[in-house]
Amino acid sequence: MLLEARDVSKSFGSFRAVSGANLTIEEGEIVGLIGPNGAGKSTFFNCLAGDMPVTTGQIIFDGRDITRASPEAHARIGIGRTFQLPATFEDMSVLDNVMVGAFLRHPHRDDAREHARKIIELTGLTAHASNWARSLGTPGRKRLEIARVLASQPRLMLLDESLAGLTPAELRDAIGLVKRIHEMGITLVIVEHIMEVIMTLTRRVLVFNQGHVIASGKPEDVVKDPAVIDAYLGHGDVPRRG
Amino acid sequence: MLLVQVLVGGLLLGAIYALFSSGLTLIWGMMNFINFAHGEFVMLGMYAALLVVVWLGGGPAVFGVVVALFLFFMGVAVYASLIRHVLRGPMLAQILSTFGLALLLRYTAFWIFSANFVSLPETWLSGSIDVGGIWLPIPQLIAGLLAITLTIVLHLLLTRTTVGSRLLAVAEDRNAAMLMGIRPDRMQALAWGLSASAAGIAGALMATAYPWSPSVGETFGLIAFVVVALGGFGSVPGAMYAGLIIGLIQSVSAFWLGPIYKDIVVYALFAVLLWLRPQGLMGRA
Amino acid sequence: MKRLSPTRLGFAVFAVALLLYPLVFTNPFFLDIGVTFLLAAISASAWNIVGGYAGQISVGHSMFFGLGAYAPLLFYQWLGWPPMAGIPIGIAASVVLAIIIGMPTFRLTGHYFSMATIAVAELIRIFTGTWDFVGAAIGLQGPATARGWWDLTFRGETPYYYIFLGVLAVLLFITHTIERRRFGYYLRAIKARERAARSLGVPVLQIKMKALMLSATFTSLAGSLYAIKTGFIDPESGFGILVSVQMVIIAALGGAGTLFGPLLGALILIPLQSATNTWFGGGGSGLTYILYGGIIVLIARFEPGGLFELWHRVVAKYRSRRHAA
Repeated sequence: MLLEARDVSKSFGSFRAVSGANLTIEEGEIVGLIGPNGAGKSTFFNCLAGDMPVTTGQIIFDGRDITRASPEAHARIGIGRTFQLPATFEDMSVLDNVMVGAFLRHPHRDDAREHARKIIELTGLTAHASNWARSLGTPGRKRLEIARVLASQPRLMLLDESLAGLTPAELRDAIGLVKRIHEMGITLVIVEHIMEVIMTLTRRVLVFNQGHVIASGKPEDVVKDPAVIDAYLGHGDVPRRG
Repeated sequence: MLLVQVLVGGLLLGAIYALFSSGLTLIWGMMNFINFAHGEFVMLGMYAALLVVVWLGGGPAVFGVVVALFLFFMGVAVYASLIRHVLRGPMLAQILSTFGLALLLRYTAFWIFSANFVSLPETWLSGSIDVGGIWLPIPQLIAGLLAITLTIVLHLLLTRTTVGSRLLAVAEDRNAAMLMGIRPDRMQALAWGLSASAAGIAGALMATAYPWSPSVGETFGLIAFVVVALGGFGSVPGAMYAGLIIGLIQSVSAFWLGPIYKDIVVYALFAVLLWLRPQGLMGRA
Repeated sequence: MKRLSPTRLGFAVFAVALLLYPLVFTNPFFLDIGVTFLLAAISASAWNIVGGYAGQISVGHSMFFGLGAYAPLLFYQWLGWPPMAGIPIGIAASVVLAIIIGMPTFRLTGHYFSMATIAVAELIRIFTGTWDFVGAAIGLQGPATARGWWDLTFRGETPYYYIFLGVLAVLLFITHTIERRRFGYYLRAIKARERAARSLGVPVLQIKMKALMLSATFTSLAGSLYAIKTGFIDPESGFGILVSVQMVIIAALGGAGTLFGPLLGALILIPLQSATNTWFGGGGSGLTYILYGGIIVLIARFEPGGLFELWHRVVAKYRSRRHAA
C-alpha cells in the first residue's frame, strides 16, 4: 500500500470540510476522485499533499506517517501535485519552470537542464521551451505544471483538475500523456469532473460528498450507484462529458 | 496619585491609537495588505484640521467633519488609482506602493509646513478638570473619549449593519462574496475610505490635545503596526484593547524610564511579539 | 571567433569606463560622485539579493548597513583597533540580526516581513541615539590621520574608489554565480509562487534565510566601507530610513532581480541626487525625497520590473512589429 488516509478530518473553525475520510492507494494504481462541488475533495487533496494541516487523522505513505510533514518533505519522499488554478512560475521560461522541478533530484544545473529537456520532450512542450510561462494559454500552463512536477520524479502524483478546459483534441493528447506517465510506473490520483477522463483512465473511483467517501469501486459501477446519483442531483450538477 | 494620572493619560492616548489602528487592521484583515502610509493619513488629518481652523475659522465640529470626509475620499482615491492595481502584482509593487506614498506625503508635508511643531489654537475646550484628585487636561479627555466611542462605532458598523456584513464577507471569502452578488472592488474601496477616515479623525482629535510635526506620521505608522500585531490582524476589538495597552505602556515607560524610551519600549515589544506570538492576542496569522 | 553580443560589448565598455574613471575625472567633486556611486551600487546590489531575486522586500535594510558602519569605528574608538578589524564583527552582528528577523517572519506573509524590517531598523536607530557607549546622538569618529596603511585613512578618494570597485565586482560575480545555480532558480521560484515552489521540494524558509544572510553580509560591508571612507557615523547616517530608501529605489528603478539593475539605478540617481542637492541647497534633501517617493509610487504602479523590464518590453514590441510588417 503506497498511500493511506485514515479518518482524516479538516475543520475551518466550526465548518467541517472533511470528516472521517478514508483512502487507500496501491502502488501503480490510477485512482479517480470525484464528487460535487463543495464536497471537500480539494481540501482533502490539499491535506494529502501536506499543503494543509489535518485536524484529526493520519496519512501514511509507504509505511511512514507523513501527517505532519511539510509540502517540501512530501516532494522529497516522492509525492508531487498540480494545482487546480495553474501555478506556473509566470516570469520564468518553460525550461526554467521544469528545471525547478528537476533540481530536486539533480542539484547540478547541467544535469537538471538535461533532465528537464527530456521531460519537456516527453510532455510535448519542446516548441515552447524558451518561451515565458506567461505566454502559454491555460492548457499549456496545465501541461507545464505536469511537466514540472514530473521532473521531480515522484512516485505518486496528485493531479487536481489538470485536464479541465481542453478541446476534444487537446483532451485526447492529455489523456495520452497521463497514460504515458502511468506507464513510467507512477501512481496517480486524479481529481476530475470530466467523465471521459475518469472512464478511460481510472480503474477505481472514489466519490466524495459532504466531507467523506460515499462510494468506491469501478467507474462503470460507481456512476450507477444510487447514492452517488443522489449526491450529484442534490447539488444540481451532474458529471459532465468533456 | 501621580501614577494614576500617568495611567489615565496613557489610556486616553491609547484610545486614539485604537482608533487609527482599527483602520489599519481593517485593511489587513480584508486584503492581507499593510498600508505603510497609514501614519501619514493620521498626519494629514492633523494638518487638515489646522488648515480648517486657520482658513475657515471653524471649530472642532467643523474640522472633524471636514477631515473625516476629506480623508475618506483620499482613501478611496488611493485605492482606486493605486492599490487596486498592485494587489494583482508582485510583492515589490505592493510594498513599494504605500511605502512610496508615505514618503511622498511625509516630505511634501515637511516642505510645505517645515519641521516645526505646531498645535491648534486654544478653544473653549481648554484647561483641566479635577476628577477625584487627578488633573485631566480637557482636550485630551475629550479626544480620548471620542476616540474610543468612534472605535466602538466602527466595530458596530462592521458587525451590525448590512454594509458592514458585506465588507466582512469579502474579507472572509472573496469568491463566496462575489457569488452572493457583493462587489469586492466596491467593498474594498469602502474599506480604504473608512480606514483613512478613521486615521484622519484620530489625527484631528489628537491635534486638539497634542502638538505635532510632519514626522509624527512615521511614528504613528509604526505604533499602528505594533497595535495591530498585538491585537491581531483583522480584529477591530483586538486593535482597541491593544491600542489602550500600548498607550499605557508608553505612558508608564515615559514615566519610569524617561521620555526617550517611550517609543523604544513599544518597538521592542513588537520585536518580542514577532517571536512569541506573531498572530497577536486575538487574531489569525 | 566568439560573437560579441551587444550586451557583452556594452558591459565590457562600461567596465573599462569604471576602471579609467578616476584617471580621467581627477577633480575631487567628480571623484566623490564616483565613490558615492560605487557605494550605492554595492548597497543596492546587496539588497537586490533578498529583495529583487527572492522577492522579500526589506524596507529597513539600514539596520545591516548601520551595524557594519558602527562596528569599525566603535572598535577603533574603544580599543584602538584599525577600523578594518571591525568589518567582520559588523558582518557577524548583521547575520545574527538577519536570523533573528527572518526566522519568525519568513513563515508569514511578505507584508509582515517588510513591516518587521522597518520596525527593527527604527528600534535600533532610536536606541543607538540614546546609548552613550556608541556615541548616542553624536556618533563615532574614525582616525583623523592614518597610523599606518591599515587604518585605510587616505587623503584622496582614489584608493577608496578602487577598493569599492573591487568589492562591487566581487558582489556582482557572486550574484551572477547564484543566478546560474540551483540557489538562484529556487530564489526566483519563491518570488514567483511560493506555494508551488514548496510543492516541488524547494526548502523555502532555508533559501529565504540564506538570501537574507548573504544580503545582510554585503550590506554590512557597504556600511563599513562608508564609515571608513567618511570617518564618521551617527544614528541617522547609519540606521536612518533614508539609507533604506536609497537602497530600495536604486535597485527597483534599474530593475530589481536583475544583475545590473542596481548599477543602472545608481547611475541615474546618484548624479541626480548630487544635482538636486546643489540646485536646491539646504531644502534640497526635502525635495529629493518627495521626488523619490513619487518615483517609487510610479515604479510600483506602472513598472515594478524597473527600467530593464521597460526596455525589454519596448524591444519585444519593436521586434514583433518588425516581424508583422
